[in-house]
Amino acid sequence: MALFRRIANLFRREHLDREIAAELQAHIDLRIDDNLARGMNPVEARRVALVQFGNPAATREHVAAADATLRLEDIRRDLRYAARQLRRSPGFALTAILTLAVGIGGITAVCSAVEAVLLHPLAFKQPERLVRLHEGVEHHFEPADLPAPDVIRFARDNRSFVQVAGFVGAQFEVSGAGKPFQARAERITASLLPMLGVQPALGRAFTQSEDDNSAPVVIISNAAWRTRFNSNPNIIGTTVDLDRRPYTILGVMPDGFQFPLSTGRVSHRDLWVPMSFTSDEKQDETDNFQYGAIARLQPGVTLAQARDNLRRMVATVEAEIPPQYGIHLTSSVQSLQEESVRRARPLLTALAAASGMILLMACANLANLLLVRAAGRQREFGVRAALGAARVTVVRQLLTESLLLSAIGGALGTALALVLVRIAAATLPDSLPQSNAIAVHWPVFLVAFGLTGLTGIVCGLAPALASLRTGLMDALKKAAGSTSSTHSQNRLRSILAILEIALATLLLVGSGLLVRSFAKMLQTDPGFQAQHVLTASLTLPEQGYQTQQSINALYGELLRQTAMLPQTRSVGAATNIPIVGINSDRNFVPLGYSPRDGRAWVSASNYFVLGDYFRAMRIPLIEGRFLAAQDEQPDAPLVAVISQSAARLAWPGIDPIGRQFRMGGNPKSARPLITVVGVVGDVRQGALDQSVYPQMYEPFPQAKRQFETAVQRSIGNYRSLYVVLNSAGDPAVPQASLEKTVQQLDPLLALSDIHTMDSVVSATQASRRFDTGTLSGFAMVALALALLGIYGVMAHSVSERTREIAIRMALGANRREVLQGILRDALKLTALGTVAGLAAAAIFTRFLRSLLYGVTPLDAATLTSVVVLLLVCSIMAGLIPARRASGLDPMRVLRSE
Amino acid sequence: MAKNDLQGTLDLLVLKTLASSPLHGYGIVLHIQRASEDLLRVEEGSLYPALHRMEQSGWIESEWALTETNRKAKYYKLTTSGRRQLNLAEESFDQLVKGVRAVLRYA
Repeated sequence: MALFRRIANLFRREHLDREIAAELQAHIDLRIDDNLARGMNPVEARRVALVQFGNPAATREHVAAADATLRLEDIRRDLRYAARQLRRSPGFALTAILTLAVGIGGITAVCSAVEAVLLHPLAFKQPERLVRLHEGVEHHFEPADLPAPDVIRFARDNRSFVQVAGFVGAQFEVSGAGKPFQARAERITASLLPMLGVQPALGRAFTQSEDDNSAPVVIISNAAWRTRFNSNPNIIGTTVDLDRRPYTILGVMPDGFQFPLSTGRVSHRDLWVPMSFTSDEKQDETDNFQYGAIARLQPGVTLAQARDNLRRMVATVEAEIPPQYGIHLTSSVQSLQEESVRRARPLLTALAAASGMILLMACANLANLLLVRAAGRQREFGVRAALGAARVTVVRQLLTESLLLSAIGGALGTALALVLVRIAAATLPDSLPQSNAIAVHWPVFLVAFGLTGLTGIVCGLAPALASLRTGLMDALKKAAGSTSSTHSQNRLRSILAILEIALATLLLVGSGLLVRSFAKMLQTDPGFQAQHVLTASLTLPEQGYQTQQSINALYGELLRQTAMLPQTRSVGAATNIPIVGINSDRNFVPLGYSPRDGRAWVSASNYFVLGDYFRAMRIPLIEGRFLAAQDEQPDAPLVAVISQSAARLAWPGIDPIGRQFRMGGNPKSARPLITVVGVVGDVRQGALDQSVYPQMYEPFPQAKRQFETAVQRSIGNYRSLYVVLNSAGDPAVPQASLEKTVQQLDPLLALSDIHTMDSVVSATQASRRFDTGTLSGFAMVALALALLGIYGVMAHSVSERTREIAIRMALGANRREVLQGILRDALKLTALGTVAGLAAAAIFTRFLRSLLYGVTPLDAATLTSVVVLLLVCSIMAGLIPARRASGLDPMRVLRSE
Repeated sequence: MAKNDLQGTLDLLVLKTLASSPLHGYGIVLHIQRASEDLLRVEEGSLYPALHRMEQSGWIESEWALTETNRKAKYYKLTTSGRRQLNLAEESFDQLVKGVRAVLRYA
């Protein structure tokens, strides 16, 4: 109504002016008419009328003023005035704007990342109904993947799932399409793609009958289609050789399709083939938990019901296992979405908390700045009030100033957020899924902006409103330039500074713990020497390598020829290499082992090795001997080398050399005995911050002989080995020669995963490096903000007490005492803040536990160094105002009052 | 007297004038002059700002119309809230007058 009219009047300015002029003119005309009627002549009538009316121009202005009390002109004027005020105190303006920008930008960027990674739904149909099934063995390992027969069984017998799909990794040598390469593939049941609701972009998915009949069909990934097949539009129906057998290409997946979603690596697959369970797999013993299983919940079925269902099905499986194995199966069902972010959750939550704290600190800093500034303008407000300025005007101008600050800070913050988001998307480690979907999340920005803007407005206005109430006399009585504030205002500012220091302490402790964890990780002995070692993976296809003998012969020849290369110091091969992750957990029964926890078997990570593996990796020999060429002969006695922790586990307190064991979990099985011939140092099978597993090494040619003779024929062949080459110089140099050697042996073979061990090790450190770096970055920002806070409070208190200090110095206090006094005040503030921060750290750092390695959440070294750092920094922050105070010339100060 | 009171009195006169019938600005000036028997003369300089202010406050509303002499002029008329304001203003003016008279009688 009245307000709308005023706002509307802003824009109808021209129209309004014309209307007012017309109205006044009409008035004058009417008066002229009357004058004419009274008998004056036209000239006379007009003159008298104008005289009686008064000054039309002035009247017009007054009328216009009455119409629109909120004028665009005024707003523009206020803005210019505000800008001038800010320019006059650049230090204040800059600090305020930077504080705002950092707070808003930081929290927007982090929360956008959090949103994209943690909350972004998976790109499948109704992803919240997708779950992953797990099966495990009690006391042995946590629920992980399933054995193949169980995937088939659960798909058939379940009552809570619309469908169950299985998947397992595979590798194929791809040829017949340009240069042969090793493709990372996944075998998937036909039910998977329909369940996910994903269709190939070209062609079609395979049918259940193709899956059941092991049809040689394949679906390729979009990336493979582009890079290896030149985006051939007619690719559907053509054939390609996988492991030298022809497969028909049925379809091409859409760009960006990822399956499976692994939480440790970028899951990059080139091909998907039908699962086509072999008869071996269908009859597998229950000790090969390798097959992933995903299911879609039936409508109305809850997670709890699904868990129950799975538990009952698993119980049925367990009932079929002979009890003397002592195996108890466990199971679990997890939401797929939850799983894919599990790894990322602790870090991102920590970061979100950290940015929340920084936002708080930014607000506190801003509040401090504005309060100080307002206190200094008391006099100005008093005088303006005395001169007749309407309260509204003054308040409006202050509002404009605060809004201007907020707007500039917000704009800068947006820019900062965009830059940070861009950096994050580029540098995030692979352990964070969906990092390419990170973009600025506008609701977060608005919240951050709103919060800081609100702080700006409240802290900018509050003192102004308060000061308007103080009498004019009081305002004028204050000495010019003095900025004495009330006691409560001082207390408020000190509290703000203490709060900031507490928050900074908390962040510094958190990041300090991470830094120490990272350092500990770097110092961890991996158990081998990673320098100068080149590794490459090789898989032999069925075509041309039907028997284990032919496989062993090729690898043997490869190692022999590689050993003769000039660069090679030693070379060996193994089914797995350290750091990359355990791939092969096996059970064994040591002879004479007394059952513990109700089971008679021990489990260890198991590598089959060939050639000079131990020397190539420089794993230290503790006792006995390494595996050697003699053990690779076809009839050599079955031997093994174990690690120290395996020895301690299987034969505690006894010398393990000469002891014997059987593979498998059954103490009464008919499997052949294996003799221990050596003990070596432990190696880290996973990343350096993961725990060490007991390790066992057996000669590669003896792999199948560990089973009963009757069973040996039905075991698949071991085809893949990692070649490990210890080079005399730079390990990257022998790469070409190694590839050439392989080519000469068989032109269709291709090495893959060629890395130096150094890069493998540092790749596993990448995610921890990122975590530490980011949190430390935040802590540094927090420290800077806290120091600004201290500086602000100290500087202000010094400038307030200028007279007091001058008097003291005139009365005989020397400069040093003044300096120390100020510093003592600064230290007092810091001490209080640090204590509060440490108390908070004691409560909150336990949430970081999952990110720590080798340090406790209350690590004494970290806490001490943080405290020392803060004290030192606060002394530095307080030094500048302290120096200024002690540098005062008392006479000049007192005289100038 | 503070400025406020003078302004309030002008408002009162205008509202009362418009209570009987809608008028344009010139008409209001003439009416007040006549009704007060030439004792009160309204400054045109203060009338129009007051009229616009009162219109902003919603006490009067305006529209353009033709006078008897076929001239276009802006006519003002009283609104319901204007009528309410008129009663309030009349009351407070009465009190003002009573108070002044009492002080003057007191000698």
